[in-house]
Amino acid sequence: MMNVNRYVLSRSLHFGQRLVSRSTRRAAKDAERLQQRRSIRTQSRNLAYAKDLFLGQVNKAEVFPYPEIGNEEVEEINQLVAPVEKFFSEEVDSAKIDREAKIPEETLNGLKELGLFGIMVPEEYGGLGLSNTVYARLAEITSLDGSIAVTLAAHQAIGLKGILIAGNEAQKQKYLPKLASGEHIAAFCLTEPGSGSDAASITTRATLSEDGKHYLINGSKFWISNGDMADVMTVFARTEVVVDGVKKDKISAFIVERAFGGVTSGKPEDKLGIRGSNTCEVSFDNVPVPVENVIGEVGGGFKVAMNILNSGRFSMGSSSAGMIKKLIELTSEYAATRKQFNKSLGEFGMIQEKFALMSINAFVMESMAYLTAGMMDRPGLPDCSLEAAMVKVFSSEGGWICTSEALQILGGLGYTKNYPYERYVRDCRILPIFEGTNEILRMYIALTGMQYAGKVLTGKIKEMKKGNIGLALGMVGKKLRASFGSSADLGLTGKDGVVHPSLAQSAKKFEQNVDLFGSTVESLLYRYGKTLVDEQLILKRVADVLINLYAMTAVLSRSSRSISIGLRNHDHEVLLTNTFCSDAFFKNNYWMTQLQKHSPENNDANIKKIAREVLENRAYVCSHPLERTF
Amino acid sequence: MKSARCLLQLQCLTLVGQSTRSAAQYGALLRAASSGRAPPPSSPPHQVFRHFHSGPARPKEQPIPAEFVNGDDKKRDRSLVAHDDLFERVAREVKTKATFNKVVDVFIKNDVRRRGHVEFIYAALKKMPEFGVERDLVVYNRLLDVFPKEVFVPRNFIQRMFNHYPRQQECGVQLLEQMENYGIMPNMETKVLLVQIFGEKGHPMRKFQRIMYWFPKFKHVNPFPVPKHLPEDPVDLARFSLTRIANDRDAKVTVHQLPCTDVTESGEQITLPHVVGIQSPSQVELLAKHNPNRPLFVEGPFPLWLRSKCVYYYVLRADPTPPEEKVEEPFDPERCLDYPLQLDLDLDRDLGDEESFDVEDLDEGPVFAMCMTGLGEQAVLNQWISGLQEDNPILGQVPTLFRLDAGPRELQGATDTESFHHHGPEPEYQKEERQPQQEPEVTLEEEPRTSQRMKR
Repeated sequence: MMNVNRYVLSRSLHFGQRLVSRSTRRAAKDAERLQQRRSIRTQSRNLAYAKDLFLGQVNKAEVFPYPEIGNEEVEEINQLVAPVEKFFSEEVDSAKIDREAKIPEETLNGLKELGLFGIMVPEEYGGLGLSNTVYARLAEITSLDGSIAVTLAAHQAIGLKGILIAGNEAQKQKYLPKLASGEHIAAFCLTEPGSGSDAASITTRATLSEDGKHYLINGSKFWISNGDMADVMTVFARTEVVVDGVKKDKISAFIVERAFGGVTSGKPEDKLGIRGSNTCEVSFDNVPVPVENVIGEVGGGFKVAMNILNSGRFSMGSSSAGMIKKLIELTSEYAATRKQFNKSLGEFGMIQEKFALMSINAFVMESMAYLTAGMMDRPGLPDCSLEAAMVKVFSSEGGWICTSEALQILGGLGYTKNYPYERYVRDCRILPIFEGTNEILRMYIALTGMQYAGKVLTGKIKEMKKGNIGLALGMVGKKLRASFGSSADLGLTGKDGVVHPSLAQSAKKFEQNVDLFGSTVESLLYRYGKTLVDEQLILKRVADVLINLYAMTAVLSRSSRSISIGLRNHDHEVLLTNTFCSDAFFKNNYWMTQLQKHSPENNDANIKKIAREVLENRAYVCSHPLERTF
Repeated sequence: MKSARCLLQLQCLTLVGQSTRSAAQYGALLRAASSGRAPPPSSPPHQVFRHFHSGPARPKEQPIPAEFVNGDDKKRDRSLVAHDDLFERVAREVKTKATFNKVVDVFIKNDVRRRGHVEFIYAALKKMPEFGVERDLVVYNRLLDVFPKEVFVPRNFIQRMFNHYPRQQECGVQLLEQMENYGIMPNMETKVLLVQIFGEKGHPMRKFQRIMYWFPKFKHVNPFPVPKHLPEDPVDLARFSLTRIANDRDAKVTVHQLPCTDVTESGEQITLPHVVGIQSPSQVELLAKHNPNRPLFVEGPFPLWLRSKCVYYYVLRADPTPPEEKVEEPFDPERCLDYPLQLDLDLDRDLGDEESFDVEDLDEGPVFAMCMTGLGEQAVLNQWISGLQEDNPILGQVPTLFRLDAGPRELQGATDTESFHHHGPEPEYQKEERQPQQEPEVTLEEEPRTSQRMKR
């Protein structure tokens, strides 16, 4: 404890000095500093990487070279990470938190002292003012305890994010300092019993009082993380807005303090995992909220909610990676010492496979997370929501598989409460569910890209439908060339290549996939047009292919950099990259084959039919195998 | 027979599910199928159903039963009289399974050589419905047991080639056929007996194999099976029938009134009929959106056949919404927080990927609720409507018209057998006459038979 305190003291001093030294010119200088630090092009960015993949193009300038942070920042991270790591290994008793379903007060205080409640809040509001990249690095450590990670994320990734990105100066001045220090805890209140993603079914209502100074909020919100302990909440409610002379209901965002009165929270939910985090129902009964507490403008809550949700997801990649890296340490210890038939467990192929799987997954997640964080840290306001969603989907599913495999290595031991594995498995199960379920995010990923590609390709497709011979011949020629084995060259390798030659083969596979993906998207748009929205199984595959493509990009970019600057063990990175890329290549090819017309690999019609019959029956349909008719 | 009925019912049910209105038209169809099930004792079952299961083997077998049936009187003059009489003599007072078995026992003990067993079996088969054993497998097996064993088994290829003991074989086939007609599946004992009597490849054995091939396949062919024994209680029966028509698992059955009999102070006896209604949540939703200026109709009674029982139901419905009143919900781009609900593209589905069929949609008007009652009077149905008001407050503002047919009261009074023949088609004719008058509301008033009233 002493240690930590001393560290914090020195650190805040350090910050204080900085604060004083550039108190006035900050605003102007900040952007400049960021640019210099990252040494990245300064032109405004309107191109996004993932969207271009839908057109079969690799916008390599976006993702190569792999984003780096300046030496100054590396130092900062090292200073910050060590005490946090120490705190988590020494002061946090995860088993106890899980058992008692509560994070002890002293642990929370420790976290507050470390400044972990205001990682991304700018320094002028009392936070650490760190970049997305450093935030991701810290998330790697905080994820060692799921409950703490979720509590922190609910506080700063979504809870206070509304004020941070859409609040006005007065709101920031008033609320951020206390939130950053952890004196106040924030919560994000959007979900309702009858409303998940459907904004139309939000029933919580804010009505303007007669004197026009207050909104009165009525309604209740469900599954609010930190709901019980939050002092400041971002609440979304319907308000009446006049648009073009017509009264309409629109969503608005409000900052609600518990101190306003009328806020009650229900019993904490008894959950499968992340048991230490507090989740409960929060009810609002005529809560008076001053009009100046509206975030953004009245009726603009929808955009605020979308922005908050879209920006909070990228860190799950590094969180999962952090967790898996820890699990690899724990299980490899066991696999090396445990002996069966005079062989250690690690000598068995099936156990080796699990370690390879965990390593690859951790490596890919890490690469994706820091690539995305780096993109987000670039100057300007880059829209990385698509990339962030992909990181979330990939890492939440990978995390689930890896924790489960880690438990499997220990067998029965892993299943007991004597070891932390079962807790990791339980904690991990929430990842595919919260912050937008993976199903919904896949829809988002696929549809956003399809919308973008559709806009570009509409003219071409229309020409094709009209029977433009030139275009048709061009297509045929392209197909012929492809069938003669001339693979696509998107310029990743070769003369102006950005990928290191030792990864050339993987890069070729990636290019081939991208090329095929482009034509697949085109044919899907040709075939389904705007009715593609209803083809969820197709969209799922599109999203999966894209996620893999983005993952391939991330690992290629990362290990190219590692080789080039000679990072330790970069040969292992090459190995992981090549393994992952070839694996993803075949999976992508399979999925894209399924997306072809009349593909025998495609079982979608059957899948839908099975589901329909089951749902009609509302039970398993088949007769029992032991039943007889005579 | 069973399968044919199933198919018919299936057809009817799908139609009932789609529209209660069309059910009336199909009532007749159902009736034809159901009436076949319980044939009047005068006509032997094989006459009615022969065409359902004529396989390639049939033509050869046909003449015999026909001859037997036609020559019934002629034969009775001679040997058969004895057997028929035997049944009549033994079972003078009561006709039960025990007495039937006794007759068979008497015959078996009478004569070691079982003289005249073919005639006896024919006679017994005919008498089975009278004794109420026509669906009893054990009795069939006992009857088969009457045949002497091993005598009719062909012993060489010539015998096998020609029809060995044709009369006996045909009698065996006839027995199996009667089982088939009543939907009785033979068991292992039947098989053993047949092998003992006629050998492995005789005609009865073939018949047995055919039955065993088809029966199991048809056993569950009806996805909406009607239980063998329908509930006796009218409320239970109504509940069963309504859930069957509605075919919606969310639909809620409400008993608005239980049947009861009261005696008033003046000594008058008042019988309150049962009123059982059904409504699903989606119907409630639909009704809530109904334009209060357009009237609702209570229509009925419509028949529903359950095996040999006919019940009647009433529907609360409205005319289809005219196209000018239909409002499409405008697309709200701020509806989904996580992903776009629509693609903003100027591209339609390619013709090659159009998987839907070109179906001409006929707007039929929504059905909001259904009910069954013991007495189809307006006062009683009013009770149902006021009961519905609890869940559907809109019913207080909408005018409700009663368009009732007189049919069911007479029908229920008549005996079952009569209703098959006499009154059946009446409601349907009325329906069909009215069809063209659907659209204009004015014509409603001109209908003399409809008792109608504006409901406040």
